[in-house]
Amino acid sequence: MSNYGTTRQPGGGAPAKDKTTDYHTALFRRLSWEGTVPIEIRVDPKELPANSDRGLECYYIQAPRVSYLPLLLPEIRRFLMDVVFDEAAASGLKEEDWWFETEEGTITKWHWPIGLIFDNHTISLSVRSSAPVASSQAQPLRLILHLASPPTEKLMLQPSQEACKQAFMGQLKEADFIRWGSTKRVTGLRKLEQDGIWEGIREHNFDDYWRVASKVTPSATLPPPAPAPGASAHARPPSTDAPSTFDRDGAYSVRSIPVRVYLPDGPILQEFAPPLLEDGSPNTLNSFLSTHLPLLFPPRPPAPPPSRSKPNPQPPSVPQLAYVMIQGVVSPSEAEMGWLGVCMAGADGWLSICVGINR
Amino acid sequence: MRGLRLEASSDTNGLNSFEDALKALDNYKKKDPSKVVVRFKAVGNAPIMKQNFYKITSSNRFQAVIQFLRKELGWQAGEPLFTYINLSFSPAPDDTVANLFKACGTDGHLIVNYSTTQAWG
Repeated sequence: MSNYGTTRQPGGGAPAKDKTTDYHTALFRRLSWEGTVPIEIRVDPKELPANSDRGLECYYIQAPRVSYLPLLLPEIRRFLMDVVFDEAAASGLKEEDWWFETEEGTITKWHWPIGLIFDNHTISLSVRSSAPVASSQAQPLRLILHLASPPTEKLMLQPSQEACKQAFMGQLKEADFIRWGSTKRVTGLRKLEQDGIWEGIREHNFDDYWRVASKVTPSATLPPPAPAPGASAHARPPSTDAPSTFDRDGAYSVRSIPVRVYLPDGPILQEFAPPLLEDGSPNTLNSFLSTHLPLLFPPRPPAPPPSRSKPNPQPPSVPQLAYVMIQGVVSPSEAEMGWLGVCMAGADGWLSICVGINR
Repeated sequence: MRGLRLEASSDTNGLNSFEDALKALDNYKKKDPSKVVVRFKAVGNAPIMKQNFYKITSSNRFQAVIQFLRKELGWQAGEPLFTYINLSFSPAPDDTVANLFKACGTDGHLIVNYSTTQAWG
């Protein structure tokens, strides 16, 4: 397995515990990278050029979650030109006028990762429809391909690969800024490396991507040990603690994890997400979401004090109104934001949290 | 018909949970009417505007800020205009002013740099 998920050690061999961290980091990064979603693309029948072979105008792709729609266009175009379109009628088509929308009329954005488009759409459908939640079989994302009159304001970008690359690099820098307050890690990359990370996405090559990404993604260190309950920070002996092996570039040293929360049909929230809370414990999905979306993720009240009849009281349960989906997977509420930010983020460095509603 | 429904005390995922969730979603959809102070700063040869500070509604997308800037500068759609936050990065066009301010605001405003050439691309 590729070595690019490793923590950076100050020197000497990595202790066994860190080798486990390396393995899990690489595993989850690989799983996120290899995730794909089914897409069904159908040309708007009203726009099919004359003499097109109707009945064949549907194209199916199992697309990588970390890729982008503009990167799929060449493949789609090849299929349509080979199989569907009459050459003469199709010669006037301009790819820069092509655009997609969902069957529900949502215009899909060129700069959103495909996995995000898919999850956001799936959740949106599940909230709107009165039908029971879909079975475990993933329903394809059904897109209508239009060949003309792009709604440029809503699309915000040209469908060109160059525009997509620029948007991607912009997101990478914004993520860098959120983490550290500067973009020097990304801007410090050589031009060859900046091109290389995009090539990794274009060619869907994990190693090529992570060769560069490992230079700008914080290392997946373990959080520093939380202070024991009741102990104050001052009581901790200063010399024997984690600070001596504290990784200044680690996941738990960032100012904030670059994270966006997508509610079905909007809005998109962006909130400060420190890796550690004020009491030194790791910030979890639960603490983050109950702070910023308390109506959907009500904070759990503390357990009542122990009594003779109930020596080990549990905190009262709260209604599970909503769930969290990251890279297509429903995530446990105790997942740590710091870890999620370096192991389950998208290729552009952003952790996309899609919120769904339980029925 | 609420009176006819049996309330199970241990049932925390009853019918009303879904409705509560929908109500919560509606609540979160409400547009924030507050405004953010945006400070436009010219870079390189870009012209400096007479007025550089503007109050822009938080819920606006950055795309709207770019269009607003174009209008203030009197520039057509085709003329090159590059915008950056804090001289650092170019935001996604659908990033909201609210989110950008929360993440990158300094001294109570959001600094938007603009230039005619790509500086930090």
